[in-house]
Order: sequence, then C-alpha cells, then structure tokens
Amino acid sequence: MFGFDFFELTRDVITLIVGLTALLASLGVILCSSPVYCALYLIGNMICLALLFLLYNAEFIAAVQIIVYAGAVMILFLFIIALLGGKKEVQEPSAQRSMAFVFVITMLGELFLSATVGPTKPIEGGFDLQTVAQVGGSAKAIGLELFSRHLVPFELASGLLLVAAVGIICLSKFSYTPVRRRAK
Amino acid sequence: MSFKIFIYPRQEASEIIVGHQFVLLISASMFCIGTVGFLIRKNPLIMFMSVELMLNSVNFLLIGYSNFLKSMDGQIFALIIMTVAAAEVVVGLAIILTIFRTRHDMDVDHINVLKG
Repeated sequence: MFGFDFFELTRDVITLIVGLTALLASLGVILCSSPVYCALYLIGNMICLALLFLLYNAEFIAAVQIIVYAGAVMILFLFIIALLGGKKEVQEPSAQRSMAFVFVITMLGELFLSATVGPTKPIEGGFDLQTVAQVGGSAKAIGLELFSRHLVPFELASGLLLVAAVGIICLSKFSYTPVRRRAK
Repeated sequence: MSFKIFIYPRQEASEIIVGHQFVLLISASMFCIGTVGFLIRKNPLIMFMSVELMLNSVNFLLIGYSNFLKSMDGQIFALIIMTVAAAEVVVGLAIILTIFRTRHDMDVDHINVLKG
C-alpha cells in the first residue's frame, strides 16, 4: 500500500488523520448534550473538511468553506444559541430511537457496499493540475467554468439568496401574535 | 471482489486512478452520523447542525471526485450546495426564532399543532 516515496507517505498519513478527526468531530456534534459544544464541534468538523479540500486540490472551495461555514453560518448558530439559551437536552432511550439506529445502520451498510465500485477514469481534456496552474489557480478555473457552462445555476443561486433575505425580513420584522383560543 | 483501500489517488500504469474508497467511506460515515443526529435529537438547532453535516459530507464527495475525474464541475456544484445551505440555515433559524417567541419551548416533540 505504501511505497517508499516519503511525500506520498506523509500525504496519506495526513489525509487519514484529518479524515478521522472530521469523523470524530461529527460524532461530537450528535453526542454532546449542550448546544454550544455541538456548535464548537461542528466548527472543528468544518475546519477539518477545509483541510481535506486543500489536500484534494480545491483551494478556492476550502477558503469559501472557512469563510461561509465556519465564519458566517456558525456565528449565526452561536448567536441564536445565545439568544435562546443553550439548555441541556435529556437523552433517554426510546423505541423510535432504536428504530432510527436500525434504519441508519442499514443505510450505512448499503453505502459501504456502494463504496466497492471499481476504479474510475479521468475525463479527457479536463482540468488536471497542469491546466489549473496554466490558467492561474483554482479560483480562476472555477470562474472560467462557472461563467461559461454553469451560468444559469449561478444566476438561480443569486435569486435564491435574494428570496431568502426577503423571507427572513418578513419573518422577523412582522412578528406573529398568537390568536387567542376561543372560549367554549 | 477485491477491496483495497487507498487513501490518496494513485496514477497507475493503465491511466486508472484508484483511491476513491477513502473519500466514499468518510463521506458515507459522515452522512450517516448526520442522519442519526437528525433522527434522535430533539433540539431543532442540533437537528439543523446535523443537516449541515449531511450537506458537508456530500460536498466532500463532490470535491474528491472532482479531483479524481480532473473536472471542475464537482467544485462548482459544491459552491452551489454551500449557497443553498446558507439560505436554508438563515430561513430555518428565523423560523426557529419565531417558534420560540410564540411558544417559549424548544422541544420538537411538543410542536404538534400548526396554529399558535
């Protein structure tokens, strides 16, 4: 499995360690009972994923992951937790919980079976490392593809963000007052 | 059926890359952990965090295969998934805040009627 190439050995070990750390952090997200610890574990998971993106030659996506997820989204989560009060959750076993475990273990087995697919071949004339370096980096290559072949999804995503911004203004500004129950 | 796990892709003599099993295994495990978290937790905030875990695992799969296939499409799809996730989180947190304002309760088991 390991050759004598020291660079490849180091890269393998680092990838393995970062991947396992990401898995442990995601376990921490669902096992901690305090929401603040869950949010901190999720930040750790996202930073590990950004490192994995860097290892798989996606520098721009790694930067976006750190800025958008670990920066913006998690700060939003932490503010909401601070606003609502991070109460600890009592976890007791129940029938639904064991059913959920059975369902997910079945799904995990199916996914692991699907992980035994054969090797794949790279696309001819795609963006390999030399082409990306020639174009001028990962961000520039993404921009070239995004504004030529994937223009419509890009515009739709901007429309989605606009709709979400208008939606949360409507949700938070016009506060909902509960209707009184009719007296019988 | 031979099942060898390679951590990182290797270029072999016949131009075939092996090494996507690591990405598939990590991504599948993280997706299943997110599903379990969504199903067993009762705090809506932590349920949202589990949804984020699932979206992130799919992102990792897309990035890994974009690296194997030498194509930029996976990275662009990851970017669009991040946009969708950001919009979803913002709207979901606003909804959770509205529910908390009207009910002063965070347990999803107690939210069982549609009227306030």
